[in-house]
Amino acid sequence: MSYQVAKNVTNIISGTVVLIVYLFYVSGSYQDGLLVMDDLKYWAQVMLIFIGIGIAMAILVQIVFHILFSIGLAVKESIKNGNCNDQEIERTIKLEMVEDEMGKLIELKSMRVSYSTAGVGFVASLILLYFEYPPFMALNVLFVSFCVGSILDGCTQLYYYKRGV
Amino acid sequence: MGNKFEITNNIRKLRFFADEMTQQQLAEKAGVSRQTIIAIEGGKYSPSLELAFRIAYAFSVQIGEVFDCRVAENKKE
Repeated sequence: MSYQVAKNVTNIISGTVVLIVYLFYVSGSYQDGLLVMDDLKYWAQVMLIFIGIGIAMAILVQIVFHILFSIGLAVKESIKNGNCNDQEIERTIKLEMVEDEMGKLIELKSMRVSYSTAGVGFVASLILLYFEYPPFMALNVLFVSFCVGSILDGCTQLYYYKRGV
Repeated sequence: MGNKFEITNNIRKLRFFADEMTQQQLAEKAGVSRQTIIAIEGGKYSPSLELAFRIAYAFSVQIGEVFDCRVAENKKE
């Protein structure tokens, strides 16, 4: 598994975990009758907390991933060469992590998918408001569409790395 | 509409004749990731003109020896 593919897989996993935890939290609170439907301040607070959790988790997962990936490369390199030359390992790690024109093109294409998803979510939330659904529903649709957009971003990148651009 | 062009390459052959140069070594010389070299070699990605020149430079050959282009047959006709 290459660096880019592994990085995308970890991004998808961390994004999915945050989304699932959020959905469980909301549905659990709803079943327990703890949700304050009309209090937009409450929803803003919940979503801000989850955005914070998402960012913290993404940073943490990236740090752990880079450490594990570097260890994996070092082990592979030492098995291949028979010795553990730090400079050689560092060079290999730098080479694996290089971002080039294909990576940038794939990133652009995947960004288009995530923006489209977020856009569809925004329009859907406006439609909900138009049909006089409660505002918390529109906010949730917006939040979930952003989360799904970020997951789809990773999936699109994986697809293009596998299939080619 | 214009004809559709199919870009082919001889990277595998050139690597073989360059003392079985690895994809990693070529990637290093061209300044891209190994993933990109794999994609170009497999015909999954058409590189920019600059990268095509850099790959040719890595093999010390003309760009035409690395990449070739032919008109793809139109299946509708």
